[in-house]
Amino acid sequence: MAAALAFGCRQGDADAAAPPGSWRETLLRARGQTVALAMWQGDPYINAYIRDFVAPRLRRDYGVVLRTVSAQGNQIVSMLMTEKEARRPNSASDIVWINGETFYQLRQIEALYGPFTDRLPNARFIDWRNPFIRYDFQQEIRGFECPWGNVQFALIYDSGAVADPPRTRAALSEWWRAHPGRFTFDVQFTGLTFLKSLLIEIAGGGQALAGPFDESKYRESSTRLWAWLNENKRFLWKSGRTFPDGVAQLHELFASGEVAFTMSNNDREVDNKIAQGLFPSTARAYVLDSGTIQNSHYLGIVQGAPHKEGALVTINFLISPEAQLEKQKPSVWGDGTVLDVTRMPAPWRESFTSEAPRSYAPSRAAIQGKALMELAPEYMLRLHDDFRTHVIDR
Amino acid sequence: MSSTAKARGGRVGLAVFLAIAVFPASGGLLYALLYSLGGVGLLSRGWTLQAWIRVLTGSEFWRSLLFSSTVAAEVVLISVALGLSLALSLGERLQRTLGTLLHVPLTVPNVVAAFLTFQLLAGAGLMSRVAVRVGAIPDTARFPSLVQEPWGIGIVLAHVLLATPFLVLLFAALARSERVSAFVELASTLGANHTQTLRRVVLPLLLRQALPSLVLLFIAILGSYDIPLLLGVQSPQMLSVLVVRKNGIYDLAQKPEAYSVAILYSVFTLLLLLRVIPLQGRRREAS
Repeated sequence: MAAALAFGCRQGDADAAAPPGSWRETLLRARGQTVALAMWQGDPYINAYIRDFVAPRLRRDYGVVLRTVSAQGNQIVSMLMTEKEARRPNSASDIVWINGETFYQLRQIEALYGPFTDRLPNARFIDWRNPFIRYDFQQEIRGFECPWGNVQFALIYDSGAVADPPRTRAALSEWWRAHPGRFTFDVQFTGLTFLKSLLIEIAGGGQALAGPFDESKYRESSTRLWAWLNENKRFLWKSGRTFPDGVAQLHELFASGEVAFTMSNNDREVDNKIAQGLFPSTARAYVLDSGTIQNSHYLGIVQGAPHKEGALVTINFLISPEAQLEKQKPSVWGDGTVLDVTRMPAPWRESFTSEAPRSYAPSRAAIQGKALMELAPEYMLRLHDDFRTHVIDR
Repeated sequence: MSSTAKARGGRVGLAVFLAIAVFPASGGLLYALLYSLGGVGLLSRGWTLQAWIRVLTGSEFWRSLLFSSTVAAEVVLISVALGLSLALSLGERLQRTLGTLLHVPLTVPNVVAAFLTFQLLAGAGLMSRVAVRVGAIPDTARFPSLVQEPWGIGIVLAHVLLATPFLVLLFAALARSERVSAFVELASTLGANHTQTLRRVVLPLLLRQALPSLVLLFIAILGSYDIPLLLGVQSPQMLSVLVVRKNGIYDLAQKPEAYSVAILYSVFTLLLLLRVIPLQGRRREAS
């Protein structure tokens, strides 16, 4: 409701605020600008991609200097909210790497600039028909953020310790009971995505919870989710009395062998974590039979961004076939592309289709059928709170 | 002439004190108060007591306060016991190399202490691996991990590691400045035995002088953030961790609650200080 209102009143004045002129003019103005990108910096591969590939190209080809600022999700919201509360006219960041509830909240506080995606020449390659790209947590993005990558949630296990990983919710609890203390999930984004996948399964699977937030459906399925968790949580790590604070901590527990499973929002992460030497080479990724959430992540431009042209040029480069192909390589990042291969010029089409095979992750084709749509952001906000009240504090 | 200069100096001093100590703190508290009441804030829908009611009637804040106070009290008690016994037993040797060595732990940042404690005591940590190697437990999963468990053992331990050297140095310095050895000699001349001297002379002398520092230590631990963040559990959380969580939580509507918890914490520590400082003043007048 609040989001709908925000959409209504924001679209008019956004056009008036847009810097005038053609793409050529944007390129000219961008030259010499230093663009600040606020991003999660918890993965050395992602950092290296930005530092060693993106930044040098931007500087060489467009005269844009790219600077990164460490912040993610609710930190970004908190940061931009504080800037607005202090009435600071120029934001400290130009581009923010966001999705889902962060997008929803930034729209709520009117901190995003746009719509801007129709001004990017490379946006013509984006696969706009794909609902997993066009809708971010059930919200149509309407040009206020640009798709950057697309990933699917996967569980990761050590095939050296687990011969046949559990593929259903019933099998999961059975496995926990047989191996107490060897499974857990984090209380941040990744763990909540895991819970959301289970919530959809409980509600009836597929599109059962699609559409705007539904209180009664949520209450019914979450009650069953908490009951199931409370019944089985004593077989989790630390007897389910506490949970890792973030996925990085969960990865560490997995790497040190304290737990036998970890998880990732990126189906290909297992490949680059093995390449980094963090995970044992026996680590494998898979998805549940009832499906896991597939979502996209996006780049937004801050309303008060002092370098909007530089930001546009940067985002346009990030969605170029060249940058997307590089990002997709498991040895670089392993992040799925948001481009529609059929829309690309022939040479690029071939490079994308002859993609290096995944060594340890399942192929995209194999898991696409088990992809679940993200739910409306309220589901995640409620799960986050209620998990604390109904499970941790119990 | 000199008295007016002195008065001017006093006024400048007061102004500087107000500018750098009182104004920012009270300004921050005022802003927090307004925010918690819905007077300011981007998503505020007007004045409301909702955040305060939720914080005061819910169990989360009270459990956090109780947990934080318990942890802080445990740390103070354990490190005072350790600090006193070390200071008294080491005595003169603290003047030499040992005293210098004791300064080293004081340079260790909280985060580093927390990290070391974690590496040592985690489920797959150093101790656990040693225990497996010597055959005490079959695998690391059986190790009773002392970090991230509801009793806060890891938090207490990390703080004790940091506080004890400080207290050893404090008690040793106090023993010198209060001429404890002279009093001890006097007491034994008058026929007191070792235990009596310790209980009636040494401890009262040292503890009374150390009280303000101990209260400050208590407050510092009560408000500590990095150690409980790394070594604590999700519930109960220590106060600072709770405030930061509520401030950056997914649900933006909970932000005012972060501010009310922060205010309650400030009021609690202020009351604590106000109870101890006048006490000290009166004591000094009496002696």
